[in-house]
Amino acid sequence: MLQHMKATGADQAVGLGLVGFSLFLFTYYTVWVIVLPFVDSDHVIHSYFLPREYSVILPGVAALILLLCVGTFIGVVTWKNRTPKKVD
Amino acid sequence: MTKLLEWLLGVSLVGVAWGLVTFDLLDLQLPAAYKEVAWPMPVYLLVVFGCYSLATIGYRVATFNDCEEAAKELQAQIQEAKDDLKKKGLKM
Repeated sequence: MLQHMKATGADQAVGLGLVGFSLFLFTYYTVWVIVLPFVDSDHVIHSYFLPREYSVILPGVAALILLLCVGTFIGVVTWKNRTPKKVD
Repeated sequence: MTKLLEWLLGVSLVGVAWGLVTFDLLDLQLPAAYKEVAWPMPVYLLVVFGCYSLATIGYRVATFNDCEEAAKELQAQIQEAKDDLKKKGLKM
């Protein structure tokens, strides 16, 4: 008989942490991109957000870093497994 | 019309609409706020999609039931695979 227990400890913490983080990111980014242009430029809320250009630059940089990490990992593993050409 | 063509048509229509608003090609004289909202839209949609994916994964990790026996079996299989690959020369 298969045992099925509820998800425990670390799994729940990591899962809920991911959900919380993505909710926070979504809310902050949505306010930044969609809400702020309709708010008067002298309202105090603008001080919590970087200039608008960064709302495009930061995700772009993050995507580049992600690609770099993936590429580096593939490169390192490929490098470690190269075999020298056999000479007859 | 194939699904691919439908998707491409839909994406190009949305893309043209976005380009018209962002680069003001039709001289529509929209209020500045609307243009401010429009130009980051492609990046915004990507970020929202990323957030949705992350939240879905997180939620399913948090609610997936533990399977003790399957976990032990999987650990054993992972060890078996590692040993086998090491024997064949793969260095991790």
